[in-house]
Amino acid sequence: MDIVKVIAVGIITVVAVIILKQIKPELSIFATIAGSLVIIFMILQAVGVVIVDYKNLLDKTGLNSGIFTSVLKIIGVGYLVEFASDICNDAGVGSISNKILLAGKILIMIMCLPIIKNLLELIINFVS
Amino acid sequence: MGVEIILKIAAVGILTSVVNQVLKYCGKEEISTLTTLAGLIVVLVMVVNLISQLFNTVKGLFSL
Repeated sequence: MDIVKVIAVGIITVVAVIILKQIKPELSIFATIAGSLVIIFMILQAVGVVIVDYKNLLDKTGLNSGIFTSVLKIIGVGYLVEFASDICNDAGVGSISNKILLAGKILIMIMCLPIIKNLLELIINFVS
Repeated sequence: MGVEIILKIAAVGILTSVVNQVLKYCGKEEISTLTTLAGLIVVLVMVVNLISQLFNTVKGLFSL
């Protein structure tokens, strides 16, 4: 992930969106989506490397890897929900972006349940 | 995967607007709405491919 490249793509996207807003307003949303997708793909390459390192670290500690995968899932859901709600905000439809955010929050809350259960079991084992 | 996808979308947008102007000049109003629709669909297909690629990458990466 080269930060200069990310900035360049961002500026080019902004220019494209502004031009398209004058000429073809309905295409400007697609330009924002494409620009943010390109930047996200650059970020995902960097995130992939980090995740592999975390997994190696975790294997050494011998912890329960189930927790790590669910944490990864939560991060992934967070990424996607934030991506979608920003696009809806750009398009001017604030209500849809709030709905997507709400759905994401609820889904993450549901995903947290197994982690909390694990934690409680650990605490009970310590106490008893 | 880089800047070319954004420039492609901008190019399609400009091209459709130019074609519309020409068609308006020739008096063929109804065809200009079709060209707008065609431009929109071309860009839509491009963006949908990108989004499906994103979902596959995220699924693979975060084991969703």
